Amino acid sequence: MSLLRIENVDKSYGDEDVLHDVSFAMETQDVEVIVGPSGSGKSTLLRCVNRLTEIDSGAIYLNDEEIHSLDENELRRRVGMVFQDFSLFAHLTARGNITLGLREVLELPKEEAVAKADDYLDRVGLADQGDSYPAELSGGQQQRVGIARALAMDPDLLLFDEPTSALDPELIGDVLRVMNDLAEEGMTMLCVTHEMGFARSAASTVTFLDEGRIVERGPPEQLFENPEHDRTNAFLGELSGLH
Amino acid sequence: MTEAAETRGSAVGRVGGRKRQVFLAVGGLFWTWLLARWAYHNTLLDGLLTAVGLPDVLRSDLGVSQREPWLPADWFAGVAANLATDAGGVSVLVVDPLVWLFELAALAAESEPALAAGAFLTVYLTVLSMFFGLFIAVPAAVTRIYGGPISSRISLAYTELIRGTPLLAQLFFFYFGLPLAGFISGFRVMEVSGMPRAAAVVAIVAFTINSSAYQAEYIRAALQSVDPGQLTAARSVGLSRLQGIRHVVLPQGLRYAIPGWTNEFVYLLKYSSLAAFITVPELFRRARNIGSDTFQFTDIYLIVGLLYLALVITTAMLMNRLERRVTIPGVGMPAGRD
Repeated sequence: MSLLRIENVDKSYGDEDVLHDVSFAMETQDVEVIVGPSGSGKSTLLRCVNRLTEIDSGAIYLNDEEIHSLDENELRRRVGMVFQDFSLFAHLTARGNITLGLREVLELPKEEAVAKADDYLDRVGLADQGDSYPAELSGGQQQRVGIARALAMDPDLLLFDEPTSALDPELIGDVLRVMNDLAEEGMTMLCVTHEMGFARSAASTVTFLDEGRIVERGPPEQLFENPEHDRTNAFLGELSGLH
Repeated sequence: MTEAAETRGSAVGRVGGRKRQVFLAVGGLFWTWLLARWAYHNTLLDGLLTAVGLPDVLRSDLGVSQREPWLPADWFAGVAANLATDAGGVSVLVVDPLVWLFELAALAAESEPALAAGAFLTVYLTVLSMFFGLFIAVPAAVTRIYGGPISSRISLAYTELIRGTPLLAQLFFFYFGLPLAGFISGFRVMEVSGMPRAAAVVAIVAFTINSSAYQAEYIRAALQSVDPGQLTAARSVGLSRLQGIRHVVLPQGLRYAIPGWTNEFVYLLKYSSLAAFITVPELFRRARNIGSDTFQFTDIYLIVGLLYLALVITTAMLMNRLERRVTIPGVGMPAGRD
């Protein structure tokens, strides 16, 4: 039984094909990194998994349950998401960002929610920032609150949508450290990211997506050292040229 | 002054130092006068005081057209009359304005109880209509943006119908068109002292509906300026659409709405004068009646204009204070708006 199984998923916006016959599976504790040029459908794929976007055809299974047979709020409770632009609730403190879901979705009593929120803030190294509003935090701190917010819901799977690409270079490290810790603790993660260092050290599988199709998929060593396809090679070459 | 009070104080006024103190002093005097007047004419308060053995403390039986014995209206009028008949050789250029000023003071002193009673109804109509209107405006704005094709169109039709027709026509529709006044008079509560007359209730109904449409538009614009990513983030945590709107979009959007909402408040304060046309004895109607009695139309409208101005300025100041109070870093008050 796979934790997440994506079968023959197609998605188009109007005439534009965004995903074409995408299939793969992830096991519990896998860290899957998806790379690919912009417009290749990476973010759309993530959003299909928690149904922020609906697929046109195919099927997605979470723990062998087709996600469209689940209540969408329940699905999203079980599949956390971390956004490129952090998307913290601007009117709530770091703590409030975490407790909102705990209180309204998991219906925890207030004290319990606060204790849990503080616990998760501590895990991402922000124990002293519980009362800060997002605008008072640096990008790296905001993103760590974003991770804590998703994590506190106790999800089966965490989706990361380019979590570091809106950050200044010196702030990326803190976020990657948290993500590495999560991977080591056995969190199942599906990440769209161009952080090749993270992909090498933490990923169990790397998938190269181009023009809505999976071009190549394999363990990071194989994909980075010995890619089968020229396109993979060219893209990775461009990336490493940038970094 | 303590440090906390100092910071809060300086946050209120962009008017600095001495000017601000004068502002607050004048505003304080104005409101002390109004509140004292309202208490003085309050039958409920009078009844309470009588009940605890303090009869005749307040003068709730005083007709609003009666002048107060302790106000020197006659003296002002006498000075004006004397000056007009015997200027003592001083140039008319000096005497005439002086005569006018004393006449104005006499009129103000004479009409002051009536104007205070009118101002009470004006504030009462405005505050209640804004308050009730908010409860229609928020759902209307939310359905307009987030509703389905039918519900959002109903909301659109409501706001456009109300905004597209004159307020006076709406007032007449409710007062003369529907037998609303007769219906309201039928309720027993209307007999309780302190309740306004049926016409005032009709005015509140009409103003509530009217202001709800305008408030809905201000709130809609404010909600649309909330980053859509906020609702997406709420939904990604597992909140339903309604929960996301309630806990994430509205708390932010309503903060953005405060300046527009202040605008509507100020508008309604002035437009509530239209209630005069359905016999509600609010500020403008009192002024008009006094004008008809004394033929001093210019003077009484000048006085009443100043009263409206004072009400509007205090409202704006209060709302400004509210806005600063609920401000959260990064929400509602973009940096640099000062």
